[in-house]
Amino acid sequence: MLKSDNIVSHKQYQIARILSWVMIIILIIRYFQIQIIEHEIYRLKSNTNRIRKVTKNAPRGLILDRFGEILVDNYPVYVLTAIPGEMNNKGMQFNLIAKYIESDSSIIHSNYKKYYRGRFVPTRLAKDIDFLQLSNLEENKLNLEGVYYDQIPERYYPNGVRAPHLFGYVKEIDRMIRKNLNNKQLYELGDLVGWSGLEKQYESYLMGKRGTYFFEVDASGREVGSALELLDTRPDPGFNIQTTIDLDLQIFIEKLLENRRGVILVGKPETGGILAAASAPDYSPDLFTGLMTESKWRSVKEDPNTPLINRYIQGTYIPGSIVKMITQIAILKYGSYDLNMSHYCPGFYQFGDRIYGCWVTDGHGDVNMTQAMAMSCDVFFYKVVQQIDIDHLYSVFTEFGFGRKTNIDIPNEAFGLVPNKDYMFRRYGKYGWSRGALLNLAIGQGELLVTPIQVLNYINLISTKGESPNCHFVVVDNLPNNSKPELEAIIWQQVHDGMRSAIIDKKGTGKKSDPNIDGLSIHGKTGTAENPHGDNHAWFTGWAEYLNEKYSIVILLENAGSGGGVAAPLVNKVFKELINNNLVTLK
Amino acid sequence: MILLKKPNIHDAPWMILFSALFLSFIGLIALNSISHQNTTIIQNPFYKQLFFLFIAFFSFSFSFITPKYIIHKYAFIIYGVGIFIVILPFFGSPHAGTYRWLNVGLPFNFQPSEFVKIFSVIALARYLSDNNLKIYKFRSIVLPILIALFPTLIVLNQPDLGTALVMLSIVFPMLYWAGARPFYLFLLIAPILSILTAFNVILFSIWAFIIAIVIFYARTKIIAGVGYFFGNIFFGLLARPIWDMLNSYQQNRIITFVYPEKDPLGAAYQIIQSKTAIGSGGFFGKGWGYGTQTHLKFLPVQESDFILSVIGEELGFIIIATILITFGYLLNTIIRYSFLSKDKFSSLILLGLGSIILAHVFVNTAMTVGLIPVKGLPLPFISAGGTFLVTSYLMIGLIMRFSIHYSD
Repeated sequence: MLKSDNIVSHKQYQIARILSWVMIIILIIRYFQIQIIEHEIYRLKSNTNRIRKVTKNAPRGLILDRFGEILVDNYPVYVLTAIPGEMNNKGMQFNLIAKYIESDSSIIHSNYKKYYRGRFVPTRLAKDIDFLQLSNLEENKLNLEGVYYDQIPERYYPNGVRAPHLFGYVKEIDRMIRKNLNNKQLYELGDLVGWSGLEKQYESYLMGKRGTYFFEVDASGREVGSALELLDTRPDPGFNIQTTIDLDLQIFIEKLLENRRGVILVGKPETGGILAAASAPDYSPDLFTGLMTESKWRSVKEDPNTPLINRYIQGTYIPGSIVKMITQIAILKYGSYDLNMSHYCPGFYQFGDRIYGCWVTDGHGDVNMTQAMAMSCDVFFYKVVQQIDIDHLYSVFTEFGFGRKTNIDIPNEAFGLVPNKDYMFRRYGKYGWSRGALLNLAIGQGELLVTPIQVLNYINLISTKGESPNCHFVVVDNLPNNSKPELEAIIWQQVHDGMRSAIIDKKGTGKKSDPNIDGLSIHGKTGTAENPHGDNHAWFTGWAEYLNEKYSIVILLENAGSGGGVAAPLVNKVFKELINNNLVTLK
Repeated sequence: MILLKKPNIHDAPWMILFSALFLSFIGLIALNSISHQNTTIIQNPFYKQLFFLFIAFFSFSFSFITPKYIIHKYAFIIYGVGIFIVILPFFGSPHAGTYRWLNVGLPFNFQPSEFVKIFSVIALARYLSDNNLKIYKFRSIVLPILIALFPTLIVLNQPDLGTALVMLSIVFPMLYWAGARPFYLFLLIAPILSILTAFNVILFSIWAFIIAIVIFYARTKIIAGVGYFFGNIFFGLLARPIWDMLNSYQQNRIITFVYPEKDPLGAAYQIIQSKTAIGSGGFFGKGWGYGTQTHLKFLPVQESDFILSVIGEELGFIIIATILITFGYLLNTIIRYSFLSKDKFSSLILLGLGSIILAHVFVNTAMTVGLIPVKGLPLPFISAGGTFLVTSYLMIGLIMRFSIHYSD
């Protein structure tokens, strides 16, 4: 197999041997030079001239509102650090420090274990040192070995805006967190990383770049100056991000939701920008800064009202009548509906062996499509929806962005649920469901689940006749593509007429939402979603037009009652505030 | 019926394995010293290394029992597989900004380029041991260079300059060993040196003088010799204007690529720390676990690329010299068996693998004391590193198998 003979000559062999030994000997000579001849130089250097590398965290970028007002800021806090290799008796040192800052030495000890990275790397012992503690430490500095202070920037919320779900929070990196980060080389223990909300979504902009300083230190660790042969780099702050939030309006809707459970979203349909977004109950945004005690954390985490959940992107709700526009569009698009036709509503409708009730038990009498929208007549929709199929409804729902993420720029959005035939077969089997399911879906009940942000996107699309860009909090160059439903002009007109009459009709369910201001016209739809877990959810969605500008709104109040009775009055307040107080500046 | 002479494992040079194990043992001692800060076993380089040594035992056994003829028969297929696995990481997501690592679903990642080095040696040995090859012709050395260059360019794009250098460094020794004219090898390297020396007038003059002497002694045709001489001068003269045409950021990128020391936060700092650590160790070192510089933890990758600074500081010159002499002994044993081989394929495999080890040893050891620019390259058998340890012992298995004289 290996036929060809080895013909290496003795000369080649000698050259190879000599070359390899020459290389090895060059190396041995070099090590001899450094370790033996120049040993004294390096010995001195290692004893007296250690270079210490100190890193300094960069302040994160600020989060601003649409006019550049600061929503999320930084302020410096003092931290106490120690260099482990310079402390001779740790236990005693920790006890002393605990005495001076009136803390518990076990806390200091656990911090020490948490942040330890090496014998000569400053290790954090305590954070949020106040002036009194600082002066106490300074007085007793002679008793403490290897103890230093450092200033680090920390998040701070200056303007009274809470919006914790929007901003999200930052987390200090410990070993576990660092292990699971994708780009862990960018972070050190004790750094901050955006953990939810905008802080997480825009982490790469906000995070900034850590600075590095080199100091020469003597044998006992005292700094003797900066290391001249090595260049320091200053910390480079993160980029500020400008949101579409309006500071005053945000504060207003947060107040409005106090002691309630629900969501308010206000947006601009033409741009997709969100002016205000609140999910209640919430928690204080500085909950995660400073020293959070275990009990404080548990009380928030285990609160039955789930303040940690961001309801407008993570809460999935039965929509009720607010999706009747979908049914209306599906009928006009796929059915054979005559716009002049009326149906009689006796207050109930018998389909097969089941009775489907209207929300007004006495019935609405003769209603055409526009009146049916105005009064939210269920029976009308039970009747006309039979012209179409469950998959027709499904396709209109998905055209308006339901059943999938809206790609809003904060993480952990829910999908919601829009059933189609496949889904029904999978869930109930071939004979487990009937066409009655279609009747339920027509009035927004049944298996449907939507998130409030999907509803905002839906109303944006309706108000702009399908032209609204993706919903967002931060203006970026390349927004994700929004779905773009295309309908005949007459269908858009029919939908707008129906929503307008829900506000201005004498019997309109949404009339309490109209503050009756000159030049302000509102389109809207109320919803009262029956839900199996408790009282009805109250919904309102719609938009206002004022001075050629559109403002869309979504209000959801959990277990609060009827949309027209509970949600619509809040809409009234929001629009009044918009116009009286800050609409002039909104351009 | 062909009667095959069975290989006798007692003929294998076991001293090669013992030398490697001895070096790994010193590596473990150093790793244990710097492992105390790591609390969990998974992160602890010492236990990690022990674990990979265990795997390395299997890779050694595997390559030791694989018959020569199989490797000879499938040499180019093995090479093809190597090219494939080294391209694979480019389809995944970058790991620490590079495409060196392949995530294979294990808790650790896998570095395909370590295998490709060996596969290139096998392919080159196969090509150069062909009976019909007229090695004395210039064009016969072009294809081997392409065989080595192809994976090198891929690895260079990962980017991993160190490994790329090692891959390229096997070509010239193997060509020389196969009998290529040294003058042709010189012709290939000369333009590169012409470009590099062009930036210094004195160096460039000396270099031009050397070219002239070599061409004179090679007794080429007058026209070829003169043409080649001025071709090189032209190359050198061209280098400067092209360099000036580049933007300053492009120049900087090239400078930091070749001389990472110019980046003061990275390599310059590493070199200062590394030299201080080694120099302060002296003859006997500061003692195991007592290296103050090492424990400053300012030296990144001290468990892999800069393991010698740990050893130099804590165990001293005596151990460093022992390590280097062991490597010298190991390399010369390989070269001797390569010389004694009956067939050309075995001889070339041995020399090629020896070149890989020598390149690693030289680049790593010289870099640690600032003799050459910093290139991230581990020290065989000693540095912590999963894939590299496994492939190092794979090489040892191959070397021992190919050192046994038998026919199969």
